[in-house]
Amino acid sequence: MTPILEVRDIHTFIGQFHILEGVSVSVASGGITVLLGRNGAGKTTTLRSIMGLTPPTRGSIQFEGNPIQGKSTHAIAQMGIGYVPEHRAIFKGLTVRENLILAERKTGDYARKADFIFELFPDLKRLIELPGGNLSGGQQQMLAVARALVPDNRLLLIDEPSEGLAPVIIEQLIAAIQRLADQVSVLLVEQNFRVASKLAQSYVIIEEGHSRVNGAMNELVGDQSLIQRYLGVA
Amino acid sequence: MKTMQAPNQPTWRHWLRGNAFLFILLIGLILFPFIVGALTDSSPFGVPRGDRMIMRGESVRWQSVLIEVYILAILAMSYNLLFGFTGVISFGHALFFGVAGYVLGLMLEFTAIETGWALLLGALAGIAICGVLGLVVGLVTLRLKGVYFAIFTLAVAEMAFIFFGRWQLTRAEDGFAITELPLWLDPSQNRLNFYYVTLIAVVITFLFIRRLVNSPTGAVFKAIRENEDRAQSMGFNTLNYKLLSLTIAGMLAGAAGLLQVILNKKVGPELLGVSYTVDPLLMTIIGGIGTFSGPIIGAGGLHFLDVFLRDAELNLGGLVIDIANIWALLLGIIFILTVIVFPFGIIGTWQRWRARRKPPA
Repeated sequence: MTPILEVRDIHTFIGQFHILEGVSVSVASGGITVLLGRNGAGKTTTLRSIMGLTPPTRGSIQFEGNPIQGKSTHAIAQMGIGYVPEHRAIFKGLTVRENLILAERKTGDYARKADFIFELFPDLKRLIELPGGNLSGGQQQMLAVARALVPDNRLLLIDEPSEGLAPVIIEQLIAAIQRLADQVSVLLVEQNFRVASKLAQSYVIIEEGHSRVNGAMNELVGDQSLIQRYLGVA
Repeated sequence: MKTMQAPNQPTWRHWLRGNAFLFILLIGLILFPFIVGALTDSSPFGVPRGDRMIMRGESVRWQSVLIEVYILAILAMSYNLLFGFTGVISFGHALFFGVAGYVLGLMLEFTAIETGWALLLGALAGIAICGVLGLVVGLVTLRLKGVYFAIFTLAVAEMAFIFFGRWQLTRAEDGFAITELPLWLDPSQNRLNFYYVTLIAVVITFLFIRRLVNSPTGAVFKAIRENEDRAQSMGFNTLNYKLLSLTIAGMLAGAAGLLQVILNKKVGPELLGVSYTVDPLLMTIIGGIGTFSGPIIGAGGLHFLDVFLRDAELNLGGLVIDIANIWALLLGIIFILTVIVFPFGIIGTWQRWRARRKPPA
């Protein structure tokens, strides 16, 4: 099966710092791929490079067979990639409804997707008129994911969805992401290995700006030495 | 389950309830010249002498104070659209104010077009040129972020200031007087008419900005203000939206400049001076950044302070201080105090305070 996203050997600088020194990631169509790695390895920068927020200086990125490196961020988003940045990146001054309507790419997207979104995140329906800033951390994260579902995106980039959330909320989010993965492919960044292993079918490990290993998640789960080497804290 | 439907009543009554305060204020301002006239026993139309009117008396004097407030309010509202709702800080807003004024002045005084048509053409051309100017300045500079954009706009406005200050045709630094105005609009003959024209302009600007900001386009403006990267990640070409905001703000500021020229019946490079950039900035901050009525309150507050205090004298135990000499210092102190007491501006702080007292159900 051809991958929906193919990132080949990208290099990205932030200011004078060479953050990505050769990252390759392939996301299969219709599944969840997770980027693993320690803090500062370059996982978030990989997502931002795909979106064109920190454009790579070398390498190629193909989405559904079309090159997207060098395009502007809004053009990349319009091709059908939804980005859910870390730290619950919602618009705090806008209401939940405004946040969702803002995400429309075609008029009527929100009305068309509302049932699906509220089925995934029933809380949001109740909070629809509240400013995003009044929501709890978990609710904000749900809104951030929901927003990326409003237009017909075929790929979602989700950065650290579980960060700083209570276990109960994390369970809800896992269930929701599993369900939405029926409809869109997902590239996930997740520090919490338990969450990552539950969600993803395949993984890529990034270390110091290089993608080191990739493969199927169920193989990684059994390979304690690999986990220790690249993800262990000790 | 609770539904989110609006209360079941006629929409105009619902609208009136939400805008009751503004509506009462508007009626008060419509009646204002007559109320002042009745209280001070002066005619709101001025004093007739022969077949001309002399603009004398309290009512007429107060009309001109309020006309200035209205003009500054339009300027501040236009600045707020850009700064408060879109998050773009410009230091060159006077550019639009002044250029529109010059276009109108040139059309009235330097062409052979009949006065009424010259006024109409000058006003339309002034606003249109401001729109083009906003588009061009924006295309060149809006790719710059934050401070760099602000500095560039300051440079463009200063360039225009220096150019018009030296252009011999428009009598350089002296500027030129407007001698031809239709009688019905002439503030030195029919000031009451001009009072209502500026009041209508304020109301239209207010309603237009509120409509725009509450539209889907306005939601994108606010999204850019909060986080431009994020708005781009959602697929919005934020440059186009910032251009639109700058162009509309420029046209509104141009409209304010037209009114200023008619009021003073004079065109000069001071219209492009930095104070017409700084004043709306201060008025917006004091009234409330990103609120609808904040810039109006800020414009009224600052201008009234100016009118009342500037010519006053302060008597400190025999030591007489002329406020005019320390006005800039005083303004600075007032600004600092206001920002400390009202960190989100007068209207912004009040709205937050009210929202805390009455949490949404």
